[in-house]
Amino acid sequence: MKPIILANKSFRSLGLVLVTALLPATALAEITLNGFASIRGTSVSSDGGLEPFPGFEEGELSFNPESLFALQAQADLGEGLSATVQLFGEGRSDFEVEARWAYLSYQFNDKHRLSAGRFANPIFHQSEYEKVGYAHNFSRLPKAVYIDFDFSTIEGVALDSQYNLGDYSLSTKVLFGGWSGESFSAVTNTFVDFGMDNIISANATLAGDWWQLFGGVFAAQIDGTSIDNSTVFPLAAAGISAASKTGATAGQIADFKSRIGWDNKDAFYWFSGFAIDRDNWLLDFEFVDYVVKDSTDAANQSWYLALGRRFDNVVLTVHTEDYAQSPDHDFLNGVAHPALLATGKGINNAFGQREFDGVGLSVRYDFHPSAAFKADYFSGTDTRAAVGDYKILSFGIDLVF
Amino acid sequence: MKKLLIISSLLFCQLALAEVAVIVHPSNNNQLDEATISKIFLGREKSFADGQSVVPLALADAAPASSAFNDAVLKKSSSQLKAYWSKLVFTGKGTPPKEIGSDEEMLKLVATNPSVIGYVDASKVDASVKVALKF
Repeated sequence: MKPIILANKSFRSLGLVLVTALLPATALAEITLNGFASIRGTSVSSDGGLEPFPGFEEGELSFNPESLFALQAQADLGEGLSATVQLFGEGRSDFEVEARWAYLSYQFNDKHRLSAGRFANPIFHQSEYEKVGYAHNFSRLPKAVYIDFDFSTIEGVALDSQYNLGDYSLSTKVLFGGWSGESFSAVTNTFVDFGMDNIISANATLAGDWWQLFGGVFAAQIDGTSIDNSTVFPLAAAGISAASKTGATAGQIADFKSRIGWDNKDAFYWFSGFAIDRDNWLLDFEFVDYVVKDSTDAANQSWYLALGRRFDNVVLTVHTEDYAQSPDHDFLNGVAHPALLATGKGINNAFGQREFDGVGLSVRYDFHPSAAFKADYFSGTDTRAAVGDYKILSFGIDLVF
Repeated sequence: MKKLLIISSLLFCQLALAEVAVIVHPSNNNQLDEATISKIFLGREKSFADGQSVVPLALADAAPASSAFNDAVLKKSSSQLKAYWSKLVFTGKGTPPKEIGSDEEMLKLVATNPSVIGYVDASKVDASVKVALKF
C-alpha cells in the first residue's frame, strides 16, 4: 500500500481541514492518507423469505449491503505522537459518513504504543480490520464468528505492544473503554438501544514465519435498560401476569425480573485460534464463546475453519462455519413459581433459537497492484423458520490505496 | 524470430536472477541477517542491534528489485504484502516503508542518513553506501 503524502492541491485542502480539526492552529504535521473500499454485488435468497442477516436484501441482487468506502488520515506530529481519523461510509447506511476511528497515539518506545479516543474494538482476532476486504481472502469474514457486532468501535484507551522472542514475534493489546449505540435483536428482528460499560479487553498473537496462534478475552458491564424494556420484559409480561394471578408475590416477581434482565449484568467474550500460511496452503481456524452472564441470554459457541490454496495471484478458499447457542437455565435456580420458571425458560430458549451453519467457496484474484476481484458462494441453514435454508452469492472488488 | 526469442530469454533470465543488495549507511556496523532484515521491513523490528532507530525504505512496486526483494526476503508477493500492511495501517499498528522511485534516489537517501536501510539492484551499488547483504 502506498501512502499518499499530501502534495497536490485537492489533497492539501482536505489535509488542512483535518489538520485544523486535529491540531493547534500553529502546528505543522505531515498528513498521510490511506483508504480502502469494497464494491460488491450480493444476492441473497432464503426458503423462509427473511434475509439471514440484517442489512441484506432477500430475493434481489444489490450493491448496497456490502459496498463501503473509507478514507484514513494520519497526522504525524513527531516524537512518536500521531493523530488518526478514519471516515467511513457503507451502502447499508446510505454511505452516510461517520468518523469510525478518531484517536491520538503515542509511541513511547520501540515496543509500546498508547492510544486514546475512538478506535476498533478487538472483539475477536480479525475484528479490527473486519471491514477491510483487501486484507483477507473472503468476500466477508465468516458470519458465524464475525456477525457484524454493532459494538465494533470503542471509546477508551489502549496499549499495543510488540515483542521479538527469538524467531517469533508476540503482539499484545489491552484496553479499557465503553460503547453505546444500537444492537440487533434476532428475537424481535429489530435494533434496540444498547450499551457496554467498563469494557476490559486483552488479546495476544504469537507468530512465526508461517503460523500464528492467537487468543483474547473481552469483558463488559451491560447497559441494558432499553433491551430489557423493549424485548425481555415484554416477552415476560404474559407469564408474569399469569404468575401474579396464581399466587406469585411481588417479591418473587421483582426477583424474577432481576434474573431475566440484562441491565448491569456482565458480558464475557473470548476467542482463540490459529492461522497457517505455508507453501501456498492456507489454514485458518477460530473459535469464539460469549454470553451475558446470569441473564436470559443464551451462551454462544461458534467457529469457522477455512482451507485455502494460492495459485500465483489467485486464492481459492473453502470454509465451513457454525453459529451455535446453548440456552442454560441456571440463572433461574431458586425461582419456585412454575409460571415464572416456564416464562424464564421460554425467553432463554427464544434468545437461543437462532443458529446457523454452512459452507462457502471464495475466489480472490489480484488483478491489480491495489485491487482484488472476489467472488463468493455460501450455502447455509438458519434454524429460524422465517429464514431456513439460504444462499448468498456475491462478487466485487476490494481495493486499498 | 529465433534470435528475438533467445534475446528475450536471456533478458528474462537476467531479470529473474538480478541480485538485490540491502544497503545501509557506511558508518553502520550492525550485523544484519535475512531474518532481521525481514523483521525490519515488516515493521516488527524498529531498531538496529546497537539501539539506533531504523527507517526502512522500499523501492516502488514497478522496480524489478522490489519484487525480487519481496520474494527473497519477505517471502510475499506484492499483493500479499499490501494485504499484510492493510491489517496494520487500518488498525493503527504500523505504516509500511516509504516507497522510493529509483535506485539512484535510494542510494542518495541511504548515503546521507545512518538510520536508513534500503535495497537496490546490486549492479547499481556505489561507494557511498555499505552492502549489508545480497540476495
